Amino acid sequence: MLKTIACFKWVIDDADIRIDAASRKLILDRAGYKISAYDRNAIEEAIRLQERHGGTVAAITVAPPAAKACLKDALSRGPDTACFINDAAFADLAPVQTATLLAAAIRGGIEYDLIICGEGSGDLYSQQVGPALAELLEIPCVTFVNRITCADGVMTADRKLEDGIETVSVRLPALVTILPDINTPRIPTLKQVLGAAKKPVQNLAIDALCGVCDPRLETAGITAATMDRKQVRFGADADGIRAAVGALLREGVIA
Amino acid sequence: MNFKLSEEHELIRASVREFCEKYVDPIAELTDNEPKFPAETVKRMAEQDLLGIPYPQEYGGAGSDYLSYTIVVEELSRACATTGFTLEVHSSLACFPLYKFGTEEQKMKYLVPLCKGEMLGAFALTEPGAGTDAAASTTIAVQDGDHYVLNGGKIFISNAPVAGVIIVFAMTDKSKGTKGISAFIVPGGTPGLVIGKHLNKMGIRGALTSEVLLKDCRIPKENLLGGEGQGFKIAMMTLDGGRIGIAAQALGIAQAALDESIRYSKDRIQFGKPIATFQAIQWMIADMATAVEASRFLTYHAAWCYDQGLPYSKEAAMAKLFASEAATYQTNRAVQVHGGIGFIKGTKAERLYRDAKITEIYEGTNEVMRMVISGNVLR
Repeated sequence: MLKTIACFKWVIDDADIRIDAASRKLILDRAGYKISAYDRNAIEEAIRLQERHGGTVAAITVAPPAAKACLKDALSRGPDTACFINDAAFADLAPVQTATLLAAAIRGGIEYDLIICGEGSGDLYSQQVGPALAELLEIPCVTFVNRITCADGVMTADRKLEDGIETVSVRLPALVTILPDINTPRIPTLKQVLGAAKKPVQNLAIDALCGVCDPRLETAGITAATMDRKQVRFGADADGIRAAVGALLREGVIA
Repeated sequence: MNFKLSEEHELIRASVREFCEKYVDPIAELTDNEPKFPAETVKRMAEQDLLGIPYPQEYGGAGSDYLSYTIVVEELSRACATTGFTLEVHSSLACFPLYKFGTEEQKMKYLVPLCKGEMLGAFALTEPGAGTDAAASTTIAVQDGDHYVLNGGKIFISNAPVAGVIIVFAMTDKSKGTKGISAFIVPGGTPGLVIGKHLNKMGIRGALTSEVLLKDCRIPKENLLGGEGQGFKIAMMTLDGGRIGIAAQALGIAQAALDESIRYSKDRIQFGKPIATFQAIQWMIADMATAVEASRFLTYHAAWCYDQGLPYSKEAAMAKLFASEAATYQTNRAVQVHGGIGFIKGTKAERLYRDAKITEIYEGTNEVMRMVISGNVLR
């Protein structure tokens, strides 16, 4: 039996982001939200571990109250319960603040053997919340994980590093941050979507946790990156193809 | 008044959209071009609980509502009209009459496996000589002891070649006209049930549509659906609901035409600029977007009426009429936006143009829709 917590973040759906051609400003007024991509892998992995070992899965998030729709989305993917730490002040939290709130909520009464976070969020990708949460909870943290097995209170995980795979074992409780190649999240079935509304949700307010949350981050502005093309033309004859291959080699696109 | 979908409906749309991106879009061209029935997709749809969406869980359904079902047909049809239509026939035309008129035993035996997706359903009303004029039906059912013996021929029966059960309409008393029509549950593989010629269609080409012949086809008496003479009423009520499904299919096709036109007009450069910057194209896209939105409101409203237990016959006819005409006109415009490439096989706009037309014809022609609507507003 394994008690797992999957952390997730509700982020703007990047497919909905439009860009104003003149100012390069992002147009977000009609953008929808979704569960951050890697966090879907985190929830999926928690469910797969539950299918193998039994136990429970709780999904947890920190967000403004307007993000309430994230709960049914998360619960339709399989977790038994959700914990919604919400306050209007949570729009622009620094990663350490998010981790502090998560740690306070978890210490406040969510039992766990394993906490799974995505390696980074789909919007800011700071990669800080997972490790900071582990630090605050004083448990081991394993990052860049793309395979997990659990047995006899020990988790073994493969870490995908630049120069190879490192396999590590840690005694539970522990926290992992996972990479997207760990699994392919399943699409919720219709009955799972309908069943999500019947699952318990714990609402936690800021004062029940750790007091004030002064804004520390301010988004001064976001503009879209531009990619200028080199506009080099190559012919389709033998010389042109040789020139194209040479150019790709010089750019490091092929080796 | 509330124009916002519930969180569940939004989630259902998101999950079906993801399903389409993963499993339906990639094979939609092949489904049309081969043509090839998307059997694997149907199996996957069953795993996603999509084959009995608006029917109660005790009958194997998902226990959701008609609006959810409408959204699912719309999204499937947006990716592949064949797939959306296959679900529509199964759900609206086969499951519905069993759910509404079946006995508990009939529901357990046939509705449960249909809703669970263990088999597909079909609906056989149309005959070569009896299209809109159902009373001209020549298929007969004669009682013989504990059985009915069915003889006759049906045409344009979709899903028939793969159906585990077909709802067949036959005359039990020809002298009574439409009041002499009865409905029968005919299991696939029954001796005397012959699946005839496959029909080579203009659009929704992957759907399996064929003749169905009944040659001394013996059906146990308990397979009579409703009472003798109730067949016409059953067929009309079934088609009333089915029209919401066809409206959803047309809506999905029109939405896809809009999506393709937006994408192509932003990419296609003429006179040094994307053609989307030209007013001629902008106006076509504006009309398209408006028609799609109006179709959606009519269609969802009809589904909402159904879910609220309100009369929905007029609303379903209006949704089907408007959405199907919008789909045929707007897919034509989408081909126009694409220019020459829109006329070439393999371009989605070309497929959409062919897929749209049938929505003006089946499950009641648009002429019948106008009769239903005028009959409602003039009384």
